[in-house]
Amino acid sequence: MNRYLLIIFILIIGCEQPDLQHTTAATLQDFYQLEKGQNAVMLNFWATSCEPCVAEFPMIVELAEIYENDLSVFFVSMDWLDEKEKAISFLKKQGVDWTTFIKDEKDNAFINGIHAEWSGALPFTILYGKTSGEVVDFWEGEQPDERFTKAVNAAINS
Amino acid sequence: MKQYSKIMLLITMSFLWAKELELGSTLPLSEIKMADISGKDVSLKDAKGENGLLVIFSCNMCPWVIAWEDRYVSLTNEFKPQGVGIIAINSNEKQFDSVDSMEEMQKHAKELGYNFYYTMDQGSKLAREFGATRTPHIYLFDQNDKLVYRGAIDDNARKPDKVEQTYLADAIDNMLAGTKIDPTVTKALGCGIKFAK
Repeated sequence: MNRYLLIIFILIIGCEQPDLQHTTAATLQDFYQLEKGQNAVMLNFWATSCEPCVAEFPMIVELAEIYENDLSVFFVSMDWLDEKEKAISFLKKQGVDWTTFIKDEKDNAFINGIHAEWSGALPFTILYGKTSGEVVDFWEGEQPDERFTKAVNAAINS
Repeated sequence: MKQYSKIMLLITMSFLWAKELELGSTLPLSEIKMADISGKDVSLKDAKGENGLLVIFSCNMCPWVIAWEDRYVSLTNEFKPQGVGIIAINSNEKQFDSVDSMEEMQKHAKELGYNFYYTMDQGSKLAREFGATRTPHIYLFDQNDKLVYRGAIDDNARKPDKVEQTYLADAIDNMLAGTKIDPTVTKALGCGIKFAK
């Protein structure tokens, strides 16, 4: 009997899909603000069709693991909703087993709802302080690993 | 200390991103000649129509360009006869030797039936001067070369039949009619421009 239970358990784990929740800018804000006082937050806006986003993705996953006690990383997919399976498959390959999001709002409202200085270019990364909950750093486009590490440390100490 | 951090953040940001052209700004770098897919060299001044100029920062491969570019063609069909010049500019200099080469631009334009100028922005000079960050990124100038609208084409890249807000077409209509443009600034997702270093 125990053997059967173990097989069922393995099957469930093996079939587990990454958690990809539909979100607006407002619901995303409600979610990451829960981290205030506990963890610094990094939001990374990406898409499977965005080469620089895909290129920096494994490095961000690594940062999430290195700083797991002080930093919560939330990936927010900008893939089109009718192609969200692509995002799920990519997240699975990257070993992302925590909550992630996919945009379900018109671009203009969503982008302005995240930050007034974000033009809409991808990738976009923004960090919020662990204690303050305020924006510590943000940028569009590719950045070297050092920039990420510096910003993460600043967010943890803010 | 908190105030100091905020100031430092703002300074850092200003180095990272060239500010976007303000509304009311005059068409910049209008005389710089760029290689066009036609084989000729073309400037913004050459592309200008008697009633205005639509500048589209674009490229060959970006999924958002591919989703939206059918509207480049239909907007040209609608507004070129009304005296609005249209030019698409490729500023992805990092990819000029590969997917955004002139040969690829010509091929892409032919496949998609481009009926407007499509030029190479060597050194990404125009993109920097405009503060353009992504593709597509739109700038609309009136007959006096003043910026009257910037941002997005409309509110649905993926499904043209589901568009609810035709931001750019409305802006051009209002510009031509001399009536108020609202909104004058919009945003949309796009691929970051691959700037020359």
